[in-house]
Amino acid sequence: MSAPERVYALLLRAYPSEFREAYGREMLQLFRDQRREVGVRGMRFWSAILWDVARSAPALQLDSFRGQWGVDIQTGGAMMKVMAVLAVVVGALEILNTLVETFAGGLAGRSGGSLLALALAVLAPALLLLSGVALLVRPRRTATLARGAALICLVVFAAIATLQPIFSVASTVLGIGFPIVLLLFLFRKPRGGQSTSTAA
Amino acid sequence: MGRRERTDRTPDAHLPLPPATFQILLSLADGERHGYAIMREVADRTNGEMRLGPGTLYGTLKRLLEAGIVEEGRERVDPDVGDERRRYYRLTKFGLSVARAEARRLAGMVRAAQQKRLIRAEPA
Repeated sequence: MSAPERVYALLLRAYPSEFREAYGREMLQLFRDQRREVGVRGMRFWSAILWDVARSAPALQLDSFRGQWGVDIQTGGAMMKVMAVLAVVVGALEILNTLVETFAGGLAGRSGGSLLALALAVLAPALLLLSGVALLVRPRRTATLARGAALICLVVFAAIATLQPIFSVASTVLGIGFPIVLLLFLFRKPRGGQSTSTAA
Repeated sequence: MGRRERTDRTPDAHLPLPPATFQILLSLADGERHGYAIMREVADRTNGEMRLGPGTLYGTLKRLLEAGIVEEGRERVDPDVGDERRRYYRLTKFGLSVARAEARRLAGMVRAAQQKRLIRAEPA
């Protein structure tokens, strides 16, 4: 391979890898053909080549990104990331809310049931938060953990709302509502018929 | 003919075509060609005004293949150019109808320009 061809092969890295795999050899061939032509050497030739790369590579990168995003949507990958981030945010908010409630009311004078409710209201969202992090890192292997965390969170907040209603309506709705949404998402069947635990 | 995808869309759904795309379809209208032959024909037809670079040419061909407008032919050597094997491309039946629809659209615009006396009608 000549030095100009090596330079052009380097420029080809601006294109998406799958496009390079499919057309890289032909593009290099066309580059060689164009160089062989009379009057296409020097600065003018290279400025035309650079302009061609600058004009076509970003559009193809965008196409590739859109295609990848589409595949992610179909297999649940993008939604899984959104749900994982929401699990982290909701978990953190519920822990924060419980801590505020604990320090605002103080621990003295609270009944055993109230103390247990506060402890569970920290542990259950903490589990939800951890499962959100796990979903972000290893979505294929941690869907079961996330299902368990969502179920525990749902039961804990439903029990607190019924037996020890110490939290605000917003906190209770979030503590019960989000685990339901997460469970529905994790048990859904995406377009390929596979469950989320294998397709994500 | 590895990379070929079908489409159910109508030819009109692809209009208007970008100039480079229509030039490529025009090059393939009378038979299959490899990339360099397409580039040469476009440059000759436009008196060198449009010289397709490798990125523009193969980026467009990729999209045309995905839309089912173009398909791949047999890979072979073109003795006029060298001894390297080259991949050939050709219009599909759907691609031909897209090219015809674009040609009709452009002809309609030329007629409108003539009626407005922007250009003169070419003698038959």
